[in-house]
Amino acid sequence: MRRLLLCCCGLIVLVSVSVAAQSSSASATTRTRASYDIDFIGPPLADRVMQQAKETYVVFGCAYCHGVTLTPRGEATDLTRSALVGSDTNGDRIVALLRAGIPQTAKLSPMPQFSDLSDRQLHDIARYIHYARQESRYRQLVDATLGAGDATAGKAQFDQQCASCHPDGLVGIARKYDAPTLRDRLLRPRGLADVQSFEVAALRDTKNAAARASHNHLLENYTPTNVANLVAYLSTR
Amino acid sequence: MTRREFGRVVVTTASAAVLGVRRSGAAVVEQAGGLAGRGSNRSIVGGVQFGLQPFCYHDLAMTPENRATLVQRLVQNGMGMVELHATWVEPRFAAPGVSAEAAREKLRAWRAGSSVDHCRIVKKEFDEAGIEIFTYYVNIDDRYTDAEIDAVFAGAKALGARGCIGSQGLDVTRRVAQFPGRHGMFVGVHNHDNLSDPDAINNEASFVKALGFSPDVRATLDTRHFTAANGDCIDFLQKYHERVSSVHLGDRRKNNGRSAPFGEGDAPLIEVLQLIRDNKWPIVVLLEFEHGTLRPAVEEVQLMFDYCKRALS
Repeated sequence: MRRLLLCCCGLIVLVSVSVAAQSSSASATTRTRASYDIDFIGPPLADRVMQQAKETYVVFGCAYCHGVTLTPRGEATDLTRSALVGSDTNGDRIVALLRAGIPQTAKLSPMPQFSDLSDRQLHDIARYIHYARQESRYRQLVDATLGAGDATAGKAQFDQQCASCHPDGLVGIARKYDAPTLRDRLLRPRGLADVQSFEVAALRDTKNAAARASHNHLLENYTPTNVANLVAYLSTR
Repeated sequence: MTRREFGRVVVTTASAAVLGVRRSGAAVVEQAGGLAGRGSNRSIVGGVQFGLQPFCYHDLAMTPENRATLVQRLVQNGMGMVELHATWVEPRFAAPGVSAEAAREKLRAWRAGSSVDHCRIVKKEFDEAGIEIFTYYVNIDDRYTDAEIDAVFAGAKALGARGCIGSQGLDVTRRVAQFPGRHGMFVGVHNHDNLSDPDAINNEASFVKALGFSPDVRATLDTRHFTAANGDCIDFLQKYHERVSSVHLGDRRKNNGRSAPFGEGDAPLIEVLQLIRDNKWPIVVLLEFEHGTLRPAVEEVQLMFDYCKRALS
């Protein structure tokens, strides 16, 4: 009887160890996410919904020509400079183009059509393109030498693009920030610095979301010259 | 024999007569003989020679500095043959303060002066890994002088390549066609799916024009682009297999559709592989993918290669 009890205890210990080992192995696999090319795609983004959009962009082959970070290969269009992307709102132009492709072209390989993708997948691609363009444009503008700028041209631009949301004309802002900081705040206002989240919890945040969308749209289309002009104008406020 | 099959035989015979297809061309003999003589090559499956178009390694810039990594990855993927783009081989002369034209002139001079010796050294790197350079990919254009084109072929020969291929259009192909014969090589023409450019090689008719320029012109049939341009790969191979040096094997959807993982597009990949195997055609199958994947490229290439092995098992 005693021998039988010892055998049973031994068996229980063996099974427990085996289950624990399997469980540990499963969680390790989940953590490392096998078959994800981190060197090519980059580390996963903090916003899981944006990460999903990025993966859609990669999985359907956009990255092959246009690059994961929008650095194009060969004859592909540079999406950080594309006027169509710059004028797109919520995928209205990008999605239409993805559905049709560009069969008539002087390039060797026409842009393919993606009409078999779902509406959601196409919008995911558009969403990631905007995100990557904003990231790229931000880096380019922050790395550029900040020129002297033309305050008069900056005022005209402010009146046209900024005054409707900032009717006070941001009076006093020059006392708070020096020129490089002003530029940074202009490109990424501190209150809106986080990446726009598309997670359910963020859907209530409509005011900030609208402001962020506005600033991001401007960011995607700024040039070093008009940033310098705006900074020159705001430095007088 | 179905009506369609009968039609193919008739058309094949007629097309062969029009194109002056002959097996006695130096390039064809060399290609067939070469395939038979390399029993130890790692990537022969069911008698079909496989190789890789290393565009597949999307994350790896095609530079001389990355050549050692390329060789390492080819070995990892069990590839005994490669189509090598010139940028893996040639030095870059572009540098700060050097104009584009000056850099281009330096490259031209290098090709004429040092390329053959350099290519012999590069060949050794691949030889030591058991990898044969099947073709040398160079996009020759109007800016190439005759001497330069000749030097490109000489360099390619020193690499052990049997031909030079590129995405040049019809006009350039007509001019280049006179050069490979001097080196016992061929020039390969590669199709894309641009149906709006009259100079582009994009369908059967444009291939036929290009093949008509010289017996030394060979077709590199890209199954992805041919399918996207609504061409019939099987029909093309049945008609012109004697003039096809290789296929770029990949999948795409019809009607200028997107690239897709193997088996998810409209390209008849399994049928192409079995056709080459069953007829014992000396057509090299170069794997190539432009579809997206989250996997590392080496892993994706392995999946593609495994798909082909299953198709031929």
